[in-house]
Amino acid sequence: MRLPRFFGKKRGHRRTGSQAWGSFGEAVFYAALVLAGLSFVGLLVTGVVSFDADAAGLPRSRWWLWLFMLLIPGALLAFGASGLTRTVRGWGKSEERRAAKEGIAELLDTMGDPDKAAHGHPGVPTCEDLVNSPGTILRYRLPIESPESWTLVGLGLFAALWNAVLAVLAVNAGIDLLSGRVEWVLLAVIVPFLAIGVAGIVLFVRRLVLTTAVGTTQVEISEHPLVPGRSYDVLLAQGGSGAFPRLALDLEVEELASFRQGTDTRTERAIVWRETVKEWADLQIAPGIRFEAHVTVTIPMGAMHSFASQHNSVRWRIVVHGRPERWPAFARYFPLVVFPRPTEVHG
Amino acid sequence: MTEPEASNGVAKPPTPRVAMHFDRADRVYAPGQELAVRYEIDGLAGVVVAAVERSVVWYTEGKGEEDLGVHHFDRVDAVSALAAAVPSGEIVVRLPASPLSYEGVIVKVRWCVRVRLFFGGRRDFVSEHVFEVGDVPPARGVVERLA
Repeated sequence: MRLPRFFGKKRGHRRTGSQAWGSFGEAVFYAALVLAGLSFVGLLVTGVVSFDADAAGLPRSRWWLWLFMLLIPGALLAFGASGLTRTVRGWGKSEERRAAKEGIAELLDTMGDPDKAAHGHPGVPTCEDLVNSPGTILRYRLPIESPESWTLVGLGLFAALWNAVLAVLAVNAGIDLLSGRVEWVLLAVIVPFLAIGVAGIVLFVRRLVLTTAVGTTQVEISEHPLVPGRSYDVLLAQGGSGAFPRLALDLEVEELASFRQGTDTRTERAIVWRETVKEWADLQIAPGIRFEAHVTVTIPMGAMHSFASQHNSVRWRIVVHGRPERWPAFARYFPLVVFPRPTEVHG
Repeated sequence: MTEPEASNGVAKPPTPRVAMHFDRADRVYAPGQELAVRYEIDGLAGVVVAAVERSVVWYTEGKGEEDLGVHHFDRVDAVSALAAAVPSGEIVVRLPASPLSYEGVIVKVRWCVRVRLFFGGRRDFVSEHVFEVGDVPPARGVVERLA
């Protein structure tokens, strides 16, 4: 019997090292989680950690805390049991058999991980989320997928949470000062916290101004999903005011691949095809009157359809690039779903 | 055709040769078309096959972790049925509408027929034969690489 190796290598499709030892290690890990969960539940149920006022445990009025504590062993049990079940179910089976999902296994997997593929088109993402908003002129209004918005949300959350912690510390320091005590350590902590809190608010407000000052971008499309070889009407509407030296509408295909590197999961992205559908120069947008333009977008005949699996995807999107005169340049992304071209099958 | 060694890595198993005959010489199929293949396994003299699994799958290749989708799978382990599957057999299946074979830059989608033989002592042997679904031309290169 060959002993397990801690470091494996990827050789083409295969990894060195024993699959059986890997599965065994996985099973031991999940079994340890189940045991830890059961032990914790045992301690809570048998009263070693109790809510009886006479015992050394939690007071009876804090029964909710006891229930809350059940969450930890509950999570351990759920995570460990599901992992152990998955490992045992796949033990000794080929990857094709595991992926084939038979009988009850299929039901369990479907409950845990809903199939996001379009009906009748395996590997093609659904476009349900892209067709639930009607357009004002064309049939569908495409949802925006903007990294700017996520940055704004992230900065907002950071500023809110940081300043909430700061407020708690400040209130404690205030109470101490009112009662005549001076906690120098607390005050020394508050000063840098205050500086970071103010910086967080400033960054958030700056990003909010940058995001909202340019004006909203709206894209509508005549049909969805799209098919290679066909053309579609697209409406671009840009709000805001002032001069835009450049505004462009691009059609792009992006490949995404996520992989593990050590303990990190990384995602690599590459634009593999881009076409500038239309470009405008020296636009002057008046306040309250949005700029509107109709363009025709054509998906090339031999193009790859949208594809999405667990770690890999091919994504189509419309990208609006803008360069306002008084504000930084922006890019706003509108995802599309392209289905494979229907083919006539003979034989 | 690729014929990897045993996936469990315990000991060197028998190394049969699997010849796969596709009903289309160019091995290019339209989505929704019927695929018919006949396989013949050599090198099984003196070897007891416990089971055979035949599958038509797609998988991803490239930078990312490999994803696998099974379109057709059957496992033959009953002694009475093994005679019809080893040393030769047939797989006939209608292909789905997607995904199409794709030669991207960091994402590739490949289709293949796999025949996996199981011997005693948890040893196995897999033979994989690639074919194409659809006629999507390969990606020409990277326009822009994003962080």
